[in-house]
Order: sequence, then C-alpha cells, then structure tokens
Amino acid sequence: MLADLRHRLRAIFRRDAVERELAEELALHLEHEIDTRVAAGLPRAEAVRQARLALGGIDQITEAHRDARGIGLIETVMQDVRYGVRTMRRAPVFSLTAVVTIALSTAALATVLTLAHTLFVRRLPVKRPEELVAVAATRVRWNPEAVAPRDAARLQILGPVSYPDYVAFRDRVTTLNGLAAHYPTAPLFASANGNVKEINGAVVSANFFTLLGLEPIAGRFFHPSEDAVPDRDRVAVISSNLWRTWFGSSPQAIGSPLRINSVDFTIVGVASSDFVGTTPLPIEVYIPTMMLRTGYRWCDDALAADCTVLQLIGRLAPGRTLADAAAELPTLMPESWRHARAGENSGVATTAVRGLSDDDTEPRLVTILTGIAIVLLAVCCANLGGLSTAQSAARRTEVSIRLSLGAGARRIVRQLATEWLLLGAIGGIAGAVLSRVLTGMLAQSFFTMDDEGHPLRYVFAQTPTIVTLTIGAALGAALVISISPAFAVVRRARASDASVRSTASRRLAGRWLLAAQAMAAVAMVVVAALLAASAHTMVGGRNYDPSHVALMRLRPRLLKYPPDRAQQFQRNVVQRLAMLPSVASVSMVGVGGVLDGGWAPIALPAWTGDRQVRARYNEIGPSYFATLRTPLLSGREFDAGDSLRSPRVAIVNETLAARLWPDGRALGATLLVNTTPHRIVGIVEDISLGSRASLPESWIYTPFWQNPAQVDSRLAIRLNAEPAAMLPVLAREVNRVDPDVPIAEMITLPMRLAGLIRPVRVAVAFVGYTAALAVLLTGIGLFGALSFTVARRTSEIGIRMALGAARARIVRAIVGDGLVVVGGGAVAGVALAAAATRLVTHLLYGPAAADWLYYAAAAMLVVLVGLAACIVPARRAAGVEPVVALRCE
Amino acid sequence: MADAPKIDLPQGTLDLLILKALALEPQHGWAISDRIQQISKDALRVQQGSLYPALHRLERKGWIKAEWGASDNNRRAKFYALTRSGKKQLETQAGAWRALTAAVALLLDTP
Repeated sequence: MLADLRHRLRAIFRRDAVERELAEELALHLEHEIDTRVAAGLPRAEAVRQARLALGGIDQITEAHRDARGIGLIETVMQDVRYGVRTMRRAPVFSLTAVVTIALSTAALATVLTLAHTLFVRRLPVKRPEELVAVAATRVRWNPEAVAPRDAARLQILGPVSYPDYVAFRDRVTTLNGLAAHYPTAPLFASANGNVKEINGAVVSANFFTLLGLEPIAGRFFHPSEDAVPDRDRVAVISSNLWRTWFGSSPQAIGSPLRINSVDFTIVGVASSDFVGTTPLPIEVYIPTMMLRTGYRWCDDALAADCTVLQLIGRLAPGRTLADAAAELPTLMPESWRHARAGENSGVATTAVRGLSDDDTEPRLVTILTGIAIVLLAVCCANLGGLSTAQSAARRTEVSIRLSLGAGARRIVRQLATEWLLLGAIGGIAGAVLSRVLTGMLAQSFFTMDDEGHPLRYVFAQTPTIVTLTIGAALGAALVISISPAFAVVRRARASDASVRSTASRRLAGRWLLAAQAMAAVAMVVVAALLAASAHTMVGGRNYDPSHVALMRLRPRLLKYPPDRAQQFQRNVVQRLAMLPSVASVSMVGVGGVLDGGWAPIALPAWTGDRQVRARYNEIGPSYFATLRTPLLSGREFDAGDSLRSPRVAIVNETLAARLWPDGRALGATLLVNTTPHRIVGIVEDISLGSRASLPESWIYTPFWQNPAQVDSRLAIRLNAEPAAMLPVLAREVNRVDPDVPIAEMITLPMRLAGLIRPVRVAVAFVGYTAALAVLLTGIGLFGALSFTVARRTSEIGIRMALGAARARIVRAIVGDGLVVVGGGAVAGVALAAAATRLVTHLLYGPAAADWLYYAAAAMLVVLVGLAACIVPARRAAGVEPVVALRCE
Repeated sequence: MADAPKIDLPQGTLDLLILKALALEPQHGWAISDRIQQISKDALRVQQGSLYPALHRLERKGWIKAEWGASDNNRRAKFYALTRSGKKQLETQAGAWRALTAAVALLLDTP
C-alpha cells in the first residue's frame, strides 16, 4: 500500500525523472536486441531495423507504461482541465455569463454568511476568547404585546445584575477564573481639552482588563485598590480614538483631567483600538465600578442591591467547560432571586461570548436572507443548467466524434463536469471577492450609526471558513448544473445523427426550469417591493409626517440637576427654540423616544379589585401632535394650561378609545393611569411603529408638565428648513440657555426611523439585489432557450414558410412559446410570493390592502422581461429564408 | 524467428512469468524477456510494449523492487529483484497456475 502510494507520488511529482529512466531502460533493451541479432550474423544496419520492428512504437509503450504507473486519473483530470480552458476560450461569452452568474449568486451567500458570522459567531478580539462566558440574570415578564393579563404570554428575558449580586457571584464562583462586571453602554457627558460631547462609556470592574487580557497602549489600567471604595478614585481610561481626536495622541494626556457627568476624573491610561467593547457601541471611556454613581444616574444609589445595571463576563478556570459554569452559577444565586416578582431577576443564564447581535429579531432576519441566498443559487443552477443544455447541442458533433473514437460516456460526462467545476471555481472565487464589496456597502449603509445617531462599530470580516463555504457552494452548484447537459449530450450523441434530427422536440428546451426561474423571480420581486414599500411607509410616515422634524435629547440628569432646575431649563429651551424664525413648532416627550414611549398600567374607575391593563404610554409636551402632524379625531391637544396646578388630563389613541369605550364616549371619561385618575380631553389617530405582525397598540398620553419628577426630555422640532442643516443652529440656541447641559442624539426624525427599521432596509437591499438578478437570469435563460429552439427548428420553419406560413405567424409561435413558460411561472410566482410574504410579515409595515398592486406589478415586470427576451429569437425566426433553410438540410 | 509458435498469454500470466524469471537472481528488463524466451524454447515471447508496463505494475504492487546497477556490457541498467511479498506471490500464483492447467488438462483429456 505504502509502496504503491510512494510509487504513484513519484510518478506524479518526479515525472521527468521517471520518464528519463524509462527512456534509458528502453534504449538499453533496444541495444541488447541489436547485439543479439549482430551476434547471430546479421549486418548491423539490418539488425537495427529488425530490432526496431520487433519492439514496436516507443510512444505506445510509454503511454501503456504511464497507465501502469497509475497516474491515469490525474493525467486525465489535467487533460480535462486543459480542454476545459480551451472550451472556455472558444465560447467566451457563454463562459463569462456562467462565471458572472455564479459569482453574483455566491456573493449573496457569502455576504449573508459574513453577516451571520459577525452578528452571532465571531469571538471578541482578545486573548483566548473561547474561554469567555457571559453571565446574565433571567427575568420573566409579561409579554408587552398582550392586551389583557389573561391572554398574556410570559417572556423570559436576560437582564443585568446589581453590584452586591455581582460581588456575591464573583467571590464564590469556582468554575471561573475570574468574573468581571461591566456596564458597556453608559452615556457619559465628557469634556476635556476644550472638547465637549456625550460619548459612550463603560463602567468596569478593575479586573475587566486583566480578565480579557488587554494591554494599554499608553499609561495603565485600573489598580484593584482604585475599585474598592465608592466614589473615591476618579480615574479613567480613554480609547485610542478619543486619545487621538481629543489629545492628538499626546503622552501628556496621561494624568490630565477629564470631566465626566460634571465629576472630575484623571486619565490614567489609553486602551488599544483592537478591542472597543462587547457591544456594537464602541467604548470611548472606561471608569471603575466604584464610580458607578457617576456613570449611572437612574438609581438613587447605583451601587445598591436594587439597582440592576451590570453585565458579567467571566473566564473559565483551566479544565472547566461552559457546562460546568452553567451548572454552578445558578447555585450561587442570591436568596432574594428565589422569590422574585415578574420583571425581577430570578435565574441565571450562562452563555459563550460570541457575536455582536443586540437585537433579537436579527437571527430571524439572517435566516430569511440565507434562505433567499440559497433560492438565488438554485435559480442560478436552473438558469445555467438550461443554458448549457442548449449550448451543449452545439457540441453534438464534437461529442459524437469523441464517442466514435472510443471515449466512454463516463469520460465525456466527466469532461463536462470538469468544465463546469472550472467555471464554478472561478465564479466562487470571484463571488467571495465581490462579497467583500457587497458586505462593505451593507456595513457602510446600515451598520455605522444606530437609530439615535450614535456611531457603531461592526467588523464584517470574511473568514477562511466563509470563503471555503462560498467556493464549495459554487462547486456544488457547478456539479448540479453539469448533470443535465452531460446526460443530454451523451443521450443525443448515442442516438444516430439522423434520428436525432427527426426526434428533435418541438417544445422549448428546459421549460420547467425556466418557469421555475420566472416563479422565483416574481416571488423575490414581490418580497423586495413590499419591503421597500414598508420602509417608505415608515420613513415617509402614515399618521405622522417625519419630514422637517429634528430631534435632540436634553439630559440634565447626567449633571444631577434636581427636577425644578431641570424643568426650568426645559421650559426656557422650548421657549427660545420656538422663537427661532425657522422653527414651526417645538414639543417633547418624557419617556423613551419621539413617536415611541414606555408602558403604563391603566384601569377604568368602574373596574373592581386589581384589574388593570397595560397600555403604551408617554408624557408629551403641548402641541406634540401638531408638531408630528398627527390628526386629532376629537377634543384638544395639551396646552400651556395643563400644569401641575390644573386637573390631570390624558389623550388616548383611537384603538384604546374603541377598546375601553365601544359606545364612543371616550371624550370626557375618566381613566386611571398608574392608579391616578385622568380626564380624557382628546382622541388622536393611531401612531404605530409596529409591524403587521404586531397587534394595534393602545396608547395613553399624559402632559409632560404634569409630572413633577420629569428631568430629561427628547425634543421634536418642526422646521421650515432642511432639518439636518439646522441641527447646529438648534444646539447653539440650547447652549445659550445652559452651556453645561448635554445635548445628545441630534438627528432628524427620518434618520431615526430609518435606523429603527434597519432590518427592513437590510432586507430591501439584499432581496432587491437577488430579485434583480433573478429577473435578469430569467430573461437571459429564456433568450438562450428560444435562440436554441429557433436554431434547431430553422429547417422546419423554412418548410412551413415555403408552404405558405406567414412570418407573423412564426413570430407569434415563438413568442407564444416563451410567454406560456414565463406566464405560467409568473402565476406560480404570485402564489409563492403570497407564501413568502408571510415569512416577512414582521418586517412589513402599513396596511396590506394595496399589496395586490405589487403582486401584479411583479408578475407584469417578469412577463415583460420575458417578452423582451423573445424579440430577438422571434425576429431571427421570421428572418429565415426558406431556400437557405432548406439548403442547410 | 518468425516461425516460432505464437501463444497469446492469458491475462495475469505475464506477471507470473516475470516473477519466475526473477526468482533466481535480479535481472534487467531485456534479460527478463530473453530468459523467458530461452526457457520456453522461443514459445513465449514478451513484447517490450507489455514488459515494461508489467514491471512497473509489479513494482507498484511491491512484489519487485528496482535498483540501478551495471549490466554485462557495463551499461547502467535497472535491475529488478523479487521482494519478500513477491516471493510469496510467486508461490501462490504458481500453485494456482498448476492447479488450473491440471484441471484444464484433465478436462481436455477426458474423451
């Protein structure tokens, strides 16, 4: 066995030496033969002649010898490859089409794989990232989508933990070689060296850096002693980005002051740019957990047991596995967690640290996109399979000759497969390269900024595995493609030439494949169009008009302003902004974002016991709906008269009004919001940011100025000018009121909405790409098949013309052939689209009433492309000269 | 020479003949064919076209091994020798051959 292998390898890799040795052997043999004959008395010349005759041709021997050496397979493969390259050169247009098609299809697959890898698989760029585990608390809460408690589904969600709970885990865990706490998305209002900005920071335990194995590029990280006493050690580590942009990478930055949320810190070190955090929001500043009260301003005491803000990351102890840690950590759970109420920490989840996904809809999105990429690859296979069946007809003579010269059918099939594998390999490599461009575009368009205008950092890196999978998929596709033409070639070649001509099918070759392509194309166009329409609906607005609305977030809370001072500031800002000539109106919300909000329990006074329902809720300033241009159905908006001194009032949306007062008497009724009675003064049309998959939401709005505890706000400012250009002017105006208060999330409302529906926009881009490709392929496929049919039927068409058939009739026949196939496929595609649309309901917004338009338009588009593909072949058929056609016969 | 009876060698026989020819001592290619021809009294002739492929096939199977050495007339020549598994193979094949020819002879001699 070993001898065999060594022999074969030598034969392959030392081919020259082996051939030389053989030649030497044969020469010696000849010499001996001659010597024998000379010894027998023949003259030398005659002896040479006879010896040569007796031996036969050297070449044949060498050939037979090569077979014996066992290099036949590799030699034939090399031959096939060389032959394949020649064939490609001979049909450059066809080969180019094939390579480009495979490249475009596999690029989509590679792109979605890269997306999936970055979002779900990629490890942190730190030392031995496979040892890291994320420890999170689990909470059970009511499903917010549910309307009433009895049909509420329980949802398990992951949550952060409090500092005392972190310490309890850290000090008792044995399966982990360290447990660090971090709050990776702290909005910090930072100023230093003349720069002022709200930046993303992280509050981390001192062991965070050592646990991850990070090294500072300047200065140092935190000493354990600096994370031991609350509020004492005001030290900060800055990112290399901040170091560069704020300090010009000067060494003097170390030791210089940095003001964070109005507390003075000292910079002690600079972190490397390799690791910028565990979330897509890059970290610009690190402060120790003992400074959590500065970094987190939503609890009275951020270090207390009731303030859950910290995430935990640990490193497995040597020899321990994730399962060990997952088994141990729940046993260390604080006693209070065992009798937790809904929404409180009640369990522990231990998971590997992978990916950057912070959105639980992303797995579904990526799954759908992967499915679409695979369908596209199938369309590519069907298309090229069909095209090459037609093309292979042109090679009938060649294959016949080879078969009659003794080539086996298997050999010819292998030859065809090799040609396709060659095309597939080139296409796959090109696809992987192209995918880098597509991924870059996707990242640039959708993954650089979040919906509040914060910069994001995703690293979309193509790994060797992805490249391998991509090329593998291309090769797999190539094999599938080669099956049908290979058998067609052999079958056709085996039949005698005459019989082939008589049995030539009059029907369109590969019509099922073509119809399938048309079907997939229609479905993809429908899905792409519906997604695009949804994105347009969201960003364009339905019962709101986002155009010309600017947003900004004012956070005096970061400076610990008491409510009265903060509210005075807010009042002054609104007044000042409203006086600007370019400002049409100004309003604000107190909970969550503009157009969005939180949740509140509501009840009718007549309800007994604890009966409540949860409704969407926000606290809004006067003329909020006027600013958003949301129509009031009845009653009034809040105005300056609704204050702390006036009765509590509320506005409900149409859905809530209809749910609680089916008789239509909502206006003037009383509703308990957080158990406080409010009189309903207005009914407003629904503003829904929910997709078609979600139920209509009940909304309740109360006045911003009737909440005495309000501190922060998000402003909505309607302008008479281009909002993006006005943002600096607005900021300057706010700074005039109070230069210390941080302004964050300055962005236009359309930008924010676009950020909110990132999954939809990603899907639009991706499905749009695949749909365009599918339509194009359908056209090309039909064109190829019809051209082939016309070429094959030239003589038949000639005869029919000679017998008096009108050219128009011939054209009709050809076009009819094509349209029947594409039309049938399009009809099936509409049905497929209806099914496919259900898979993306959660990405669709706005009413479905007008959807049929998109279905019709998609089917029409594909049929029109089909018609265009018919024109050239039909004209060629009509141009057939009977005499010429018959002479060909 | 042209009048020597021509016998078509059954498949696999050539391997046996080569192994047998090498049983005594290592030989180079021409000497192997010469030996087979001599011992069979010119009845069996091995064409160069089948000899060398067969030699390389046997070498690949590990039954013979090749070494370069000097021939009688002091030319560099490739000498083939039986390996241990080659010797075993020779015994097996010879036994099988004898059994086969005996059986065939028995069959043919039966009236």
